[in-house]
Amino acid sequence: MKNKLILWLLVVLLLVVVGFMAKDLFVSKNTTKENVYEYDLKELRKVDPSKISHEEVKQIKIQAKELHGIAIDSKDQIYVSTDEAILILNAKGEKINSLKVRGEARCLTIAENGNVLVGMRNRVDIRKPDGSLRNSFLIPGEKAFITSLAIDGENIYVADAGQKIVHHYNIDGKKIKEIGGKNTEAGIKGFVIPSPFFDLLMGRQGELWVVNPGRHAFEAYNSKGDQISSWERTSMSIEGFSGCCNPANIAILSDGSFVTVEKGLERVKIHLPSGDVKSVVAAPELFEAGTIGIDLAVDSEDRIYVLDPVKSMIRIFEAK
Amino acid sequence: MKKDRRDFINTCFRFAAGASLVGVTGVLAHKTVSGNTLWQIDTTKCTQCGRCATSCVVTPSAVKCIHVYDMCGYCDLCGGYLRPNVKNITTGAENQLCPTGAIKRKYIEDPFFEYEIIEDLCIGCGKCVKGCGAFGNGSLQLQVSHDLCVNCNQCAIARDCPSDAFSRVPADEPYKFSGFKTNKKI
Ligand code: SF4
Ligand code: SF4
Ligand code: SF4
Repeated sequence: MKNKLILWLLVVLLLVVVGFMAKDLFVSKNTTKENVYEYDLKELRKVDPSKISHEEVKQIKIQAKELHGIAIDSKDQIYVSTDEAILILNAKGEKINSLKVRGEARCLTIAENGNVLVGMRNRVDIRKPDGSLRNSFLIPGEKAFITSLAIDGENIYVADAGQKIVHHYNIDGKKIKEIGGKNTEAGIKGFVIPSPFFDLLMGRQGELWVVNPGRHAFEAYNSKGDQISSWERTSMSIEGFSGCCNPANIAILSDGSFVTVEKGLERVKIHLPSGDVKSVVAAPELFEAGTIGIDLAVDSEDRIYVLDPVKSMIRIFEAK
Repeated sequence: MKKDRRDFINTCFRFAAGASLVGVTGVLAHKTVSGNTLWQIDTTKCTQCGRCATSCVVTPSAVKCIHVYDMCGYCDLCGGYLRPNVKNITTGAENQLCPTGAIKRKYIEDPFFEYEIIEDLCIGCGKCVKGCGAFGNGSLQLQVSHDLCVNCNQCAIARDCPSDAFSRVPADEPYKFSGFKTNKKI
């Protein structure tokens, strides 16, 4: 009887040992084990709160598969370009209209007279304020890939990330010239665009500001195509722009300061016209890591509108 | 039905014999399969946890960083080469992210730099891969180097990998880069 008991105990013991071995072999993942070699990026996503000048005051959810661009007109109406339409919202964020587009509307800008300029892969559409088509023209070149548009009266500037150049057209679709091509004699180094983010906008004095993302630089050109100013800031810290190519998108405030957004470290900042960083609008912690394609716009009150394509919403930031 | 001790022991032996037969068949079947397959990392699943450097039975690890040059932006501020918050972009050891100095930076032309992995120095920690993925184009990728891997039946890293990034791949398609198609080590 005693032997039988010992035998049973031994069998139970054996089963327990086999169970532990099996668990060790097949189940253990050591998921909580610290690893000295792990590169912790979380610290980089934190920003000293004293450097943050703005707070998020409103979010407007947008129903669309993909969000690409945002612009605001002189009446503070909001325009959002999606994979299939331009959505128009009033200043309160209520949808008032929707314009169908032919293809993905990757970028847009609004003229003083209310015309809506839409950039698709290699096509520029100019829509009247009522939505009807005023004009449309194609950018030649197999690699053409439009990422931003700016308008100044009759002049349209087209950022072409595929061909790494800015095209200058008139409103009727006639090409005038190219801006920013490498020209050592004129001191123009040329655009470095490793990923499809290449933004531009009109400055307060009618100058054209173009981001040179691979150089972490801003370059200003006059209407003749001469480079009249530039600055660059390369840094992982908030003083500059991080990664291979940033800022990804920009907007301009009423005092001529630039609002910038980066990819990699998704942070929205304000840089003075001199290039020095002024403050942080939104820290990377506010975005999902890996969010790319955040776009920016500014309204008449200098509120900053951040189009978050991952959370599918417009996020409005106001100075504290 | 009550069994006596002899019956019980007989049953145990028969069970043990049956189980070992199943086990041996399983191992043989596995070896036959593993003869045509190799361990590889699915780069879309890998989260660069650092365990590829510490869990491999081979020292230094059979996992190496491989540079897919076709995807590289040849950036000056390379997130895979430089530590975050470097003051100056120089090749000084204090500025390098790689714990073993396994990445060589070479000036090509303004503003482009080439980054080459010195395989003998790489321990497969994945720091550079994470930095490149977060701030660049993701051209640095971790892969099991088949000239170094001894193709263990149960890969020790696969067992520790928190992302289930390891799997067996056909021996004639031994590499799994993302964003770039080739079956060869590059
Ligand atoms: S253990 Fe897995 S997640 Fe960690 S570095 Fe290796 S493959 Fe990537
Ligand atoms: S950082 Fe790690 S994975 Fe990258 S080259 Fe150095 S040792 Fe290899
Ligand atoms: S199979 Fe063995 S040698 Fe190869 S990577 Fe895994 S643990 Fe290292």
